[in-house]
Order: sequence, then C-alpha cells, then structure tokens
Amino acid sequence: MILDRGDDLPVVPGSAIGVIPNPMSGRDIRRIVSQASVFPNTEKASMVLRILRAAGTLGVERVLLSTDTFGIAAGVQREMTRLCNARSTAHLRWPKVEFLELDLPTGTAADTTAYARIMAGQCSAAVVLLGGDGTMRAAVPGLGDTPMLALSTGTNNAFPIMLEATVAGMALGMIAVGAATAPETRCKMLHVEVRRGSGRVDHEVALVDACVSSTVDIGSRALWTGSSLRELYCTFGEPHGIGLSSIVGRLMPTHRTDNHGCAVLLDDPAHAAHTVLAPLAPGLLQPVGVSQVGELLPDRPRPIRERRGTVAVDGEREIEFGPDDTVTVTLRHDGPRVIDVPAALGASTAQHALLSR
Amino acid sequence: MTQTLNRPTDVDDGLTPERLLRAYRTMKSIRMFEDRVHDEFATGDIPGFVHLYAGEEASAAGICAHLDQDRDTIASTHRGHGHCIAKGVDIKPMMAEIFGKITGSCRGKGGSMHIADLSKGMLGANGIVGGGPPLICGTALAAKIKGDGGVGVAFFGDGASNQGTTAEAMNLASVWNLPAIFVAENNGYAEATAAKWSVSADNIADRAAGYGMPGVIVDGFDFFAVHEVAGEAIRRAREGGGPTLIEVKLTRYYGHFEGDQQTYRPRDEIGNARENLDCLKRFRARVTETDRLTDAQLDQVDAEVAQLIDESVAEAKAAATPGAADLLTDVYVKY
Repeated sequence: MILDRGDDLPVVPGSAIGVIPNPMSGRDIRRIVSQASVFPNTEKASMVLRILRAAGTLGVERVLLSTDTFGIAAGVQREMTRLCNARSTAHLRWPKVEFLELDLPTGTAADTTAYARIMAGQCSAAVVLLGGDGTMRAAVPGLGDTPMLALSTGTNNAFPIMLEATVAGMALGMIAVGAATAPETRCKMLHVEVRRGSGRVDHEVALVDACVSSTVDIGSRALWTGSSLRELYCTFGEPHGIGLSSIVGRLMPTHRTDNHGCAVLLDDPAHAAHTVLAPLAPGLLQPVGVSQVGELLPDRPRPIRERRGTVAVDGEREIEFGPDDTVTVTLRHDGPRVIDVPAALGASTAQHALLSR
Repeated sequence: MTQTLNRPTDVDDGLTPERLLRAYRTMKSIRMFEDRVHDEFATGDIPGFVHLYAGEEASAAGICAHLDQDRDTIASTHRGHGHCIAKGVDIKPMMAEIFGKITGSCRGKGGSMHIADLSKGMLGANGIVGGGPPLICGTALAAKIKGDGGVGVAFFGDGASNQGTTAEAMNLASVWNLPAIFVAENNGYAEATAAKWSVSADNIADRAAGYGMPGVIVDGFDFFAVHEVAGEAIRRAREGGGPTLIEVKLTRYYGHFEGDQQTYRPRDEIGNARENLDCLKRFRARVTETDRLTDAQLDQVDAEVAQLIDESVAEAKAAATPGAADLLTDVYVKY
C-alpha cells in the first residue's frame, strides 16, 4: 500500500467492515451511586462517521452499519447526506454504507448478537463495537471467527479501549484491504454454567469478570458495593483498570495475554482479615475484603462456594441462583479474536504503509 | 464519594418476604383496579375521562415502596390511579371518586384526574400535563427547610418531559439542591404522538446532565430494577445529595384514554408486552423461583384484591352523587 503523492488509495473490491454502536450503553444506576459518565448518542454517531471516513479513505468498499431507534444510524445518514451535498465536502470519498435492519428487533442485547452474526456472515473483515463490557459480551456469540475491535463509549469499562475512532477506523480499514493482519489467537473468556435443581442448565460468558455476590436479585444489574462481593473470577485485571477487575489489578495484576486468569475469594470488609481499596465504579473507591488470591488455570471448572445470590458477568448481575443450583466458572481460551490496534498499526508502519513514494 | 464508603450492602435493600408480598399486593391492586375501570367505563356508568395505568405497575410500586406516608409526597398525572394506590390512598374512596360519588376521595367532585389525599402525601392526579413537577419543588423545599428527611416525587410522562414546567422544576430543584425525584414514565406515546418523534433527546434521562443531576434509565417492566434505582435515588435525596431524574421505560396496556382506538401503535405491541414483559408475571416468576414467596401466597393476594375491587365497585355504584347543596363546598382550602 505505497501511495503516489496526492493519489487516492484504490478501493479494494470485496473489502468490508461492520460497525455496531450500542445506543443503550452508559445510562444505568451508576449515574446515581457514582460519577459514571453519560455518553451521548450524538457522539456515538460522530464516532461512526469518523470510522467511515477513515475506512473510506483507505479504500474499504463496503461498511455494514447496525440501525437503531435512538438516532445513531439516522444521525450518520443525515450527516453523510449533508457532507455529500455541501460544495466544500462533496469530494470526500465514502465507503458504500449498508444500513442493516433486523426483522424482529428486541431492544435488548440480543440485537447486538444478531447484528454481529449478520456482519460476520456477510464477509466483514472485522466488526467494531461501540459500547461497554456488556456490549462486547453480547457480540461474542454472533461473531464466530470474525475479529472484533472493542471501542469504549464511557468511563466504566475494562474490556474495550478508549481510542480515537479515526484511528480505530484506520486499523479496521487496513485489515479490510489487506494492509494489516487480523489477530489469529483468541482472547480468554469465562464460562459460567448453572445446573438448576430442575435439571435445566444455564450458560453465560464473560470477557473480563464473573463475580458472585450475596445480593439475591438481579435488580438494576450493576454491582458497585464491596461488602456484597463473595467471589471474583477474572480473565485479566490491570493495575489501571476500573470496575470489579480492578480488585485483581490491585492484588495480582493479570494481563490479557497471560495463559491464566485470577480467582479471588472475597468477604465483607467488616470481617475480612485484609481489605483492598479498589475503584469499583468511576469516582467510587470501595474497600473490598479479601481472603484468598490465586491463579485461575484454563479448562478447570471452579465450583463457587456461595449458596444463594447472583453472578454478575462483566459487571452486570445476570444469574440468580439458590441452594439447589450448582454453579461453576471455567476459564477458556475460546473468546473472540480481538484486534490490538497499536500492534496492527505498528506492523503496518514497519511495512511503510501509507507512506508516499 | 465518602457518603457511600463503608456503608452496608445497598443492593439487598430490605426486600423481605413481607415487603415483597406488599409490593405484589400493590401491583395486583393497580392491575385489577384498572382492568375493572376499563370494563365499567364501557358500560357508561363512569362520568368523564379515565386514563388507565395497567402495564406500568412496577414503576409506581417500585418507587413508592421507599416512601413514607407522613413526610414524603408525590405528584401524579392524568394517569394517576396507580400512583394513588401505591402511595396508600384507599381503594374504595378512589373507586367512588371515579364514579363521581359523594363517598369519593374528593367527595365525587374531582373524578379520575383529580384524585388527591393529602393525608397520604398524595398531592393529586393532575389534568395539566407537566403540572406535577413544580408542585414537588414546593414540597421538597418544605422538607428541606423542616429537615425531616422527606422527599418529593414527581411522576410525569414523555409528553410532559417536553413541557416548560418540567424543565423549570428540574432546574429549580437542582439550583436549590432539593430532595426531589423526577420520574419520567416513558410509555412511548404522548396521547397519540410517539416519543421517538417528539422528544428531541435520545432518552429523557439524557436531559438530566443539562440540569446538573444524575439521569438513569430503568426497565419499567422489572419491579426489582425500579425498586433498586429508586432506593438509591431516594436515599441520596434524603441525605442531601439533591435531585435525580429517573426515566422508566414501560408501556401502557390500554389507550391514552378509554375509547382510544390506538391506530398509532403497531398491532402486536401490546400483545407482545403482555405476553413477554408483564411486570406481574415477571415478579411472580422471580419470587417463586427463588423460594421467597409461594404461588399459594400470591394466589391468596389475588383473591383478596379481587374481592376488594368487587366491593369497591358495588359500594361506589350504591353511593349517592353530590347534591346541589354540595356545589359550593370544598372549593377553597382553609389555612
């Protein structure tokens, strides 16, 4: 991909990427109990436009975009139309944008899964998701082998990264046109299996953490108080992380690329021998009682100890369980293929991509 | 930040079996009350208009479960029956009021849209769209001056979210740091106008940032989610943390008013909500699956509520209407 000075890059036939902005991320109870940010959908629309501009400039032929009823897709279409009609911007090159629609939208995370599945099926080289940890988790079942780029829209996320959307669009574009390579390896993922007393088996996955809480209701889903936490299982926990995985980041930093994860047995800080102060939510450092910390090895199901409560996956209470249920957590290396933007762009820089003759 | 450090667990929030049963009784009472008013209105015995709250029960019940009758106040809307019941207004006088009888909450002179009971902290249903939020600034200011820890809760709809009164009230509540909770019950339609079309923001909750208060969205079909969010917002208000805007996303099972043909709604919208989202069904499943209540306990509540509604209708029909001598009474409040 060596440029002639001033030339447009050629459009690469068949090149395509998918874009899924989650319109509902970033408005939960953490706005009351902490100082979590509100991420407006107008900014998500702007991020999508920046991704489109970058991808179009690099020669991506087609972009598949999810639609919503909260103004993101409509905002993208409106702004593209305005730019195309304005004399000063009419020359800008855009990829062909296909606005996808679901036959039966649910207004839930299932829509994210469905869009990811459609995009993966239509030969997208990669799919970028705009949202939080929950958005990324929702996409996993639909993605299959298609790589994901996880872009954060908020301050409360551990898995997606905060990155300028233009640069994310560059990485996606270069992968789509063959100027950069997509990751081959899969990230770690937690599998939470619940065998009900009735015989039913429920299954959830988590990209970052599965946390057992003594809280008995799913309620408003978020977890933010250290005193109710009992067990924590993480794929990774970074010292600079936010949310539940920050507990691991404070105790035993575990990297995304490590073979193992981390398991922590927790207790009410009023009774625990040790406590650690961790940023469980933006602006909210909470004391968490700690009784045991250790590596979580892959492919070894770990039964949980608590008899009644909830399991939160990636920070959201999703599973209620009782004494008749058996809950296990297993770390596996079968998560999505996640694009490492600095690595992808760094490799392309080494090959002098985007450098004129 | 320090106000939440080291405090006890805040997510079990005291939902004992007794409280769960009370919450279920509230929701079931609202549902059966509204279903019965729907039936009775069709017979022509009820004067005036009624706007039914069926489908939205988890909102009123989840929020009012945290409120005291003596120090906390609520202001309601034209769709106010559910708020009244959840705040503790007696059902028999409510039914009589709707039938326009002298035994009614307001001696039969207010009807559905003006049911009020100040002894229960229920400032009134309100025929004026956006009429409730300014009232709540007054009661919240009174609570703040008295220092009794009271809060004021204004329920309003997506239509009222666009009214100047609502905007002014939220601004004032923030400026005065009032213990006020603004509950936007977004059922998707202001009369027949879709909120998607008429509300300029993506979500009503997003407007909170403009007033310097937290804004939260909560699933209005889930009692537990509403209860938890409301608990945190009300606790924050009682502790001097100021106002909160809560957007409860839900749907109404009936039209804007009784007789509304609802040609503006997708055909399967209500059926889908009743089948898959219903707050009472979800509540029953949740509490029985976790062995906190039994079906027998809930069935007993159903039977008791059904009997109460039957009695309230029978007594309302048998009661007298206000006479000419009542025409000039109760017009002004004496201070």
